[in-house]
Amino acid sequence: MRLLVVEDERDLASLIRDALEKGGFAADVVMSVAAAQDHLRLVTYDLVVLDLGLPDGDGLALLRRLRSEGTAIPILILTARDGPEDRVLGLDAGGDDYLVKPFHVPEVIARIRALLRRPNAALGVTLTLGNLTLETTTRQVRVENATVPLSQRETSMLEILMRRQGIVVMREVLEQRLYSFDSQIGSNALEVLVHRLRRRLQEAGAPVVIHTVRGVGYLMAEQA
Amino acid sequence: MTASAQPVRSWSLSRRLAWRLTALMLCAMLLAAAAVARGTIATLRDLDDSALQRQARLVANHLPPQGEDGAALILPDEITQPFRASDGDNLFIVYGTGQTPLATSDPAKAAQAAPYIPAPLTGRIFRVPFVAGHRHGMIGFALRRGERWVVVLQGREQATVLLQSLIASFLATSIWLLLPIGLATVVVSLLTLRTGLRPLLRVSAAAASVGPARPGVRLPTAGLPREVSPLVHAVNEALTRLEQTIETQRTFMAEAAHGLRTPLAVLTARLDALGQTPEADALRHDADRMARLVGQLLRMARLDSLPLDVTQAVDLHAVAVEAITALVPLGLRRDVELALLGYDGTLLVSGNHAALVLALTNLIENAIAYAPPGSAVEVVVTAPATISVLDSGPGIAVEHRDRLLRPFERGIAATDGGAGLGLAIASRIAAAHGGHIRVDSSPTGGALVALDANSSLPG
Repeated sequence: MRLLVVEDERDLASLIRDALEKGGFAADVVMSVAAAQDHLRLVTYDLVVLDLGLPDGDGLALLRRLRSEGTAIPILILTARDGPEDRVLGLDAGGDDYLVKPFHVPEVIARIRALLRRPNAALGVTLTLGNLTLETTTRQVRVENATVPLSQRETSMLEILMRRQGIVVMREVLEQRLYSFDSQIGSNALEVLVHRLRRRLQEAGAPVVIHTVRGVGYLMAEQA
Repeated sequence: MTASAQPVRSWSLSRRLAWRLTALMLCAMLLAAAAVARGTIATLRDLDDSALQRQARLVANHLPPQGEDGAALILPDEITQPFRASDGDNLFIVYGTGQTPLATSDPAKAAQAAPYIPAPLTGRIFRVPFVAGHRHGMIGFALRRGERWVVVLQGREQATVLLQSLIASFLATSIWLLLPIGLATVVVSLLTLRTGLRPLLRVSAAAASVGPARPGVRLPTAGLPREVSPLVHAVNEALTRLEQTIETQRTFMAEAAHGLRTPLAVLTARLDALGQTPEADALRHDADRMARLVGQLLRMARLDSLPLDVTQAVDLHAVAVEAITALVPLGLRRDVELALLGYDGTLLVSGNHAALVLALTNLIENAIAYAPPGSAVEVVVTAPATISVLDSGPGIAVEHRDRLLRPFERGIAATDGGAGLGLAIASRIAAAHGGHIRVDSSPTGGALVALDANSSLPG
């Protein structure tokens, strides 16, 4: 995985690069919009970490230009701007995620991994949470090396929750992704499904929890 | 936001103009009538004077030659007859050298008028104020002929009646002439006023749309009358100055944020590179506190120095979902469950989505900080425009409730190293939405902190 870090603060840029390399990524650092454009023309990157306030221009303008050219590379915005509208502006311009400085480096790495796990980022990935794995192509679910027998819908739900592990997945999103338009969803169909999935995972000894956020949705995390 | 406050005493230019023009027209008519009356009176007086002089001369010309004093004067019938036939309106008296009349056409009236006839006689017009049968008195004229005076008197009724009828007929014709002209003047003035001021409606609409979201809007100056355009130009210049001030503030806030956050970001990243040692953890904790304080100070400063655009259509349910979703991981670390209750579905209000999320985030963070492990923090959305956060912590004593909304005030048992700005920030955001933060007790004895926004929808 090769990443481009666009950051004009020299110390911060090298700290991020060191952390990324420690996390198993190859990272190039550039400090201006012009250099970023040159690199993006020459090298195919898997993800861009983008600072917004750059010496020769606005990172948002670069982001808009990339998106208008049809570039689908995941872009993580790292910025000091935290005004009420700034986050929306950044995501509207085509940013995939938005992190306000100061940030913890493990958080940056986690966000980068989450972005790379997205369906359009790379096909055929193995999702992992603790010792629980889900092979997205074969749809095999394993704890350690033992296969966990799950129905198709349970596997789909597990995939959605694992792709967004540590993040709340809204009920509406799950319902839309798991049930077709014409199927009649009972008011507690989702609860029943979550209940079944929890039991199967528990029986298989997976060290994971599916937290219910009442009125909002579900969140999957490693057992504390 | 478009309901502009009317001034307490507002007045209508058109109504004032209509009243004043009407009053002006009435004054003009009265003045004209008065002028006509005055002219008529003078003319009538002249006519009377010459008629009296003529009558006096007529009588004098027919006086028989001077005879014996005391002898009766006999005048020809063709002279006396018209006087007698006038029914007392006209009479003549001929005096010799004495006070006794030598001849008269009506002895009774002559006797009544005698005291008012000036003595000695002069060749002038004089007035007799009271004679029976003549309410308005009589006017007289004396003409000397040799040793004798011929005095002629005439009732004034004729003149008064004539004058009255003249004025009446003048008013009748002038009303039919002046009334349409007056009406037309009023109507034309009002129409001119209305068409002249119509561009102001566009100006008002443009002015109403000026706000933090659209600071670049200027009032249209095209088609404005010269009398109004200086005001509109001045307002536009004021808007430009205001926009520049806001822009300067915005730039300053962005630079302050960048300047403060960048070294903190370097510090945090360096500390993260130190690995997991107790010392590094402690330093990271300190850096986090500082970062949190800087973030809150920047938000506070931004709310104080920059206007907030509260004209978006915001779904309070979505606001609650966004704030809860972001805070669930924090809740899990503290073993505090978050739940969304109440209104289920889209609840639209006029406001600023990001600011409301920030305010609610602060309220929930506070609740998580005080909630005991294993308990739940409930976020309740209620129509028309309230989001409440309930916890089962120690609650907030009544005497501390107002104080907590002020900057840098913290709860007694604050443990999370907060700067005490969270509630103050939420309070400012609520105020910008025409609402406020309400602190109360939850049914479980914990705190209930509610954000009431303005329920009006963007117009």
